[in-house]
Amino acid sequence: MSASLETQQTIRELSQEGYKYGFVSDIETDTAPPGLNEDTVRFISAKKNEPEWLLEWRLAAFRAWREMPEPEWAKVEFPPIDYQAASYYAAPRQQAAPKSLDEVDPELLRTYEKLGVPLREREILAGVAVDAVFDSVSVATTFKGQLAELGIIFCSFGEAVKEHPELVKKYLGTVVPQNDNFYAALNSAVFSDGSFAYIPPGVRCPMELSTYFRINARNSGQFERTLLIADKGAYVSYLEGCTAPQRDENQLHAAVVELIAHENAQIKYSTVQNWYPGDAEGKGGIYNFVTKRGACRGARAKISWTQVETGSAITWKYPSCILEGDDSVGEFYSVAITNNRQQADTGTKMIHIGRNTSSTIISKGISAGRGQNTYRGLVRVQPRAQGARNYTQCDSLLIGDRCGAHTVPYIEVRNPSAKVEHEATTSKISEDQLFYCRQRGLSDEDALSLIVNGFCKEVLKELPMEFAVEAQKLLAVSLEGSVG
Amino acid sequence: MMLEIKNLHARLADGREILKGVDLSVGDGEVHAIMGPNGSGKSTLAAVLAGRDGYEVTEGSVTYRDRDLFAMAADERAREGVFLAFQYPVEIPGVNNMYFLRAALNAQRRHRGEPELDAGQFLRVVRQKLKLLDMADDLLQRAVNVGFSGGEKKRNEVFQMAVLEPRLAILDETDSGLDIDALRVVARGVNGLRTPDRSIVLITHYKRLLDYIEPDHVHVLQDGRIVQSGGKELAAELERRGYGTFAEQPEVAASA
Amino acid sequence: MSAVLDFPVKPEARPYLEGFGRTNSGEPEWLSRERQRALIRFAELGFPSRRSENWRYLDLQPLQREPLLPGKSRRDVQVPAELQMDGACARLILIDGHCHGAVFRDLPQGVWLASMRQAIEERPDLVRAASCGEVDAEHPFDALNAAYFADGFVLDVAPGVVLNQPLQIIHFASASGAVHTRNVIRLGEGSRATILETYAGEGRYWRNDVLAVRLGARAELTRAVLVEEAGEAVHLAELDATLGTEARFSGFALLIGGGTVRHEASVRMTGEGAQCRLDGAFVVGDNEEANILTNVDHQVPHGETREMIKGVAAGRAHGAFQGKIIVREHAQKVDAHQLSRNLILGPRAVIDTKPELEIYADDVKCSHGASVGELDETALFYLRSRGIPDAEARHMLVEGFLREPVEEIADPALRELLLRRLARRLERLEG
Repeated sequence: MSASLETQQTIRELSQEGYKYGFVSDIETDTAPPGLNEDTVRFISAKKNEPEWLLEWRLAAFRAWREMPEPEWAKVEFPPIDYQAASYYAAPRQQAAPKSLDEVDPELLRTYEKLGVPLREREILAGVAVDAVFDSVSVATTFKGQLAELGIIFCSFGEAVKEHPELVKKYLGTVVPQNDNFYAALNSAVFSDGSFAYIPPGVRCPMELSTYFRINARNSGQFERTLLIADKGAYVSYLEGCTAPQRDENQLHAAVVELIAHENAQIKYSTVQNWYPGDAEGKGGIYNFVTKRGACRGARAKISWTQVETGSAITWKYPSCILEGDDSVGEFYSVAITNNRQQADTGTKMIHIGRNTSSTIISKGISAGRGQNTYRGLVRVQPRAQGARNYTQCDSLLIGDRCGAHTVPYIEVRNPSAKVEHEATTSKISEDQLFYCRQRGLSDEDALSLIVNGFCKEVLKELPMEFAVEAQKLLAVSLEGSVG
Repeated sequence: MMLEIKNLHARLADGREILKGVDLSVGDGEVHAIMGPNGSGKSTLAAVLAGRDGYEVTEGSVTYRDRDLFAMAADERAREGVFLAFQYPVEIPGVNNMYFLRAALNAQRRHRGEPELDAGQFLRVVRQKLKLLDMADDLLQRAVNVGFSGGEKKRNEVFQMAVLEPRLAILDETDSGLDIDALRVVARGVNGLRTPDRSIVLITHYKRLLDYIEPDHVHVLQDGRIVQSGGKELAAELERRGYGTFAEQPEVAASA
Repeated sequence: MSAVLDFPVKPEARPYLEGFGRTNSGEPEWLSRERQRALIRFAELGFPSRRSENWRYLDLQPLQREPLLPGKSRRDVQVPAELQMDGACARLILIDGHCHGAVFRDLPQGVWLASMRQAIEERPDLVRAASCGEVDAEHPFDALNAAYFADGFVLDVAPGVVLNQPLQIIHFASASGAVHTRNVIRLGEGSRATILETYAGEGRYWRNDVLAVRLGARAELTRAVLVEEAGEAVHLAELDATLGTEARFSGFALLIGGGTVRHEASVRMTGEGAQCRLDGAFVVGDNEEANILTNVDHQVPHGETREMIKGVAAGRAHGAFQGKIIVREHAQKVDAHQLSRNLILGPRAVIDTKPELEIYADDVKCSHGASVGELDETALFYLRSRGIPDAEARHMLVEGFLREPVEEIADPALRELLLRRLARRLERLEG
C-alpha cells in the first residue's frame, strides 16, 4: 500500500473512535501575555523579525479593527468573545530554521506521527509536499528543492516575507484588504504564519500542495495567513485539512486566504475541515471565522473552491470569487454538516465584473441533532458584466426534527444580458430510500452513509483523490448516532 | 418449510386492521401466487414480511426457515435471504447502481462468513447475471433507479434478485405498468431463478403474469385473509368470475 | 403632542410627532390611546435604514426629502370611471383615505361592508380583534398608520356565506400629502369571497395602507390588488393575514404604476392544513422602484404555500423580491414552494431577488427557484421569422412571461381586467 494511502488509513482509524486527536503536546512555547493592543502587534512582528513595512501594515489593520463593530447578522449564536483574554502568539522554541527533517525537534515529529502525518515518509511519497504548521509557526517544509527546480515557491508565510518580500508586498491584502471585515482585520494584525505559494508563468504544479495544522496552546486563537499566486497559464491544486485537540474553552480560528489567478491560470483549493466540534452539549469546540477570497485577475482565469466542513462549533465562512477577467470562471462546491449543537452560516460570493464570466455554486447542507445549517450566498452581476452566467443549486437534508436548514441567497443583477439561475430544496432523508437499502441487507448506518454520499456526490467528485476517501469517511463519522 | 405464516394479524399506524388472520405455507422451491383486489392487503403482507416501519403485528406468527421472522430487523432478514421486489422502486440520486449492489452483496457475504468481492470479481458476477436477463449494462452505471422507466425499474429489481440470490423472493406487483415485451423479459429472469432451494411469492392483481411464470399454488387474498387456495387453474377461474364471487371456501387441492 | 418625551426621538420622525393633530373628535377612548401608543412607537423607530434587512432594496429618498403629512382633499374629485370593475357585487370608494360611499348589488345576507369609521362605531370588537400588537423595527410605517389613519374599509362575512361575485374597493388619491388607510377583512368559518382593490391617483402623494386579514376555518379569500398609482407617488402597503384550519388565501398583486411601490404580505398559518398562494408581478420602467416582500410562517403541520412572483425591469428602474418561508419545529408535512422569475430589459435596469427558507421541521418538502435573465433570443427570432416586428415581438414575449401568475386567478372577469391593465402598461414600457 502506498504511503499516502497508509496515511489516510491511519487518519481513518483515528477518526473511527471518536475524536482521537484530543491530545496535547508539551513542547514549551513562547507565549505572548494575553491581551490585544499595539504592543501585542509589535511583539509578534518582532518575534518574527519582520521588516518595517509589514509591521506598519499590521498596525494599520489593528487600528482599523479597533473601530469595527463585531458582525451580528449571521444566523449563529455564541457567547461574546473576550478578545483581550487570549494570547495571540505561541511559538515552539527553536534555534534556527531546520535545513532538513533531521534538524527538527523530535518531539514535534512525534506529534506529527500521532496525527498520522509521517513526515519521514513524505520524501518517498508519490508527491505531496507538506507545509506543517505547528501552533502559530511553521516548522517543517519539505520538497522545497524539487519545487524550486520548477521555479515554484512553496513555503511558510514567514519565510516568504524574508526570501520573497517583493512578491508578498505586491499581493498581500490585494484581495482581502485589512479593513475588509472584523475578523480579517484581526487576522491582518496578529497573524502568525501560514502558507505562501507562487507558481510561475506556464508552470503546472506537479503535486498537490497541502498543509496540516492544529491549534495547541491554551487560549491561543489561530490566525493563519495564506497567499497563493498562480501567474499566467499556471496551475495549482492546494489541499487544506485540519484537526484540533480536545479543549474546554472555545478557540477562535480566524484565517485569511487570498488567491490570485492571472490570465489562463487555474487554482483549485480544497478543504476538508474537521475542527473539534464541541461535545454533544455544545461545549468547547472551535469557532471558525474565515475570510477566503480569490481574484480571477486575468482573462480565462479559474478559481475553484471545494470544501467538506464537518467540524467546528461555529462556522462562518464564504469562500468567494471576484471575476474580473473576461471569460473567467468561479466555482464553489460545498458539503457542510452540522450535528449535535453545531452551527454553520456559510456560503459564497460570486462577483461578476468582466465580460462572459460564469460561476457555479453547488451547496449541500446536512443537519442532524440540533445543528443549524445556513447557506448564505451572493451572486452579484455588475453593470459592465456582459453575458454573465450563474447556476446555483442548494440542497439541504434534515435528519431528525430538532435541527434547522436555512437558505438565504442574494441575487443582485445589474446587467440585462446576465442569466442567473438558482434552485434550492429542503427535505429529509426519505424513509423509502432507507428501507430500500436495508431490504437489500445494508445496516441502518451503512444505508445512511450511502444515501448521504449520494446526496453529496456532485461535490465529493470535485475533491482530489487524496481527500475524497477521507471526506467520505468523515461524513459517516460526523453523522454517527443521528439516525435510529 | 421456507415460510410458515400462522394467523397473521397486522394493522397500520393509524389503527386500521389490514391483515385479519392470514395463513400460508410455502415450501422450498415452490412458487406461490397471491392474488386479490385492491385493498385486500397484498402490499401490506409484502411490507410486513419485509419488515417495513409503519405496520404493527397484533397477532400470529411467521417462521422463516425455522426462525422467528419478526425477531429480525429488516436488514437482517435481507441478509438471511429475504428479498422484496418493490412495486414502486425508489430513486436514490448520486448512488451508483453497481456500487450499491456490491455493498449489499458484500453485506450478505460478510453475514454468511464468506469473503467479500472486490470490484473486479463483482463485475464478473454481474456480467453473468446480465446475460441471464438479457439486460443492457447501461443501467449499471446510472444512479439507482434515477430516470429509469417503469419497465427498467422492474428489470433492475429482478437483476438485483439475480445477483443477491435470495432464499425467499417476494415480488410485489412486479407486472404492474409493464408492456408485454418488458413482462416477458422480467418473467424470463424470474423463471431462470427458480431453483429447488429458492421460494418465490408473486403478489399480483392480474392473471397475466401467471401465464409467464407458472405458479405451483394460487391463493386469493380478500379483506385481509386468504379465502381460497388452489392450483394454477384457480387463476383462470378468478379471471372468469372476478374477485367479488369468492368467499371462504375449503382449500381445493392443487392439481399435479 | 407637545409633552416632553423621555426617550430619544428619531429626527425624521419629529415632524410626524409634532404634526399629529388633535385626535379625531368623537372617537372612543381606546382608539385615541392606541393612536398615541402607535405614534410614540413610530417616534422610537423612525424610518427604516438601508441596513435593515427588509428595506435594503428600496430607495426611500422620495419620503426622506420632506415630511409628508395628510393633505387636504379637493372638493371636486372624480374617480375615473375606467377604474370600476364590471360585475362587482359591491363597491366601496375611498378618496384620499376617506370613504365616499358604498354601492351594493345583490349582496347575500351576512356580508357587512362599510367604512372603517363606521366599523369603529358599530363593530369595535372586530376592529380591535384585528390589530396585531406591538410593531417591530421592520414595520415602522405600520405604527405611523395606526396613529394617523383617517378611514379605510371593513369587510366581515358571516360563517357559511359564499359570495359568488367579486367586491371592489377603489383607493383613489388626489391630495398632495400622505394618505393612511387601515382596513380589515374577516371571513367566518366556511365562507368565501373575492375582492379586488384598485389603487390609483393623481399628483404627488404617499399612500400608506395596512390590511389585516383573518380567515376562519375553511374560509377562502381571493384578494387581488391592482396598483396603478401616479408617477410621483409612493405606495407602501402591508398585509397581515392569519389562516385558520384548512383556510385558503390566494393573494395576487399587480404592481404596474407608481414611483416607489412596496408590497409586503405576511401570512401566518395558525390552523392545520391551511393553504396560501402568493402570486404577483411587477413592471417597472423609467426610474420606478418596486418591491414585493412575502413572509409566510408555518406554525403548524400540513400547511401548503405556493408563490410565483414575476418581475420585469426596464429603463433605469429597480425591481426586487424578498420572500421568506419559515417552517417552525413540529410543523411537519408542510409543502412550500417559491418561484421568482425576472426579466431585465435594459442596460440600466436592476433586479434583486432573495428567496429565503428557514426550516426547523424535517418531514417537509420545501423548495425555491429564482432566475434573472433577458428575453429568450430563440423565441424572439421565432416570432420575427413569422413577420412580427421586433418591438411587437418583444412585447408579446414580455406579456407572455407576465401572464402566468395572472392566469392563476379563478374569477374570469377579474382575470380579464388585470390582463387588460397589464397590456396597457406594457404598451408604454421601453424595450
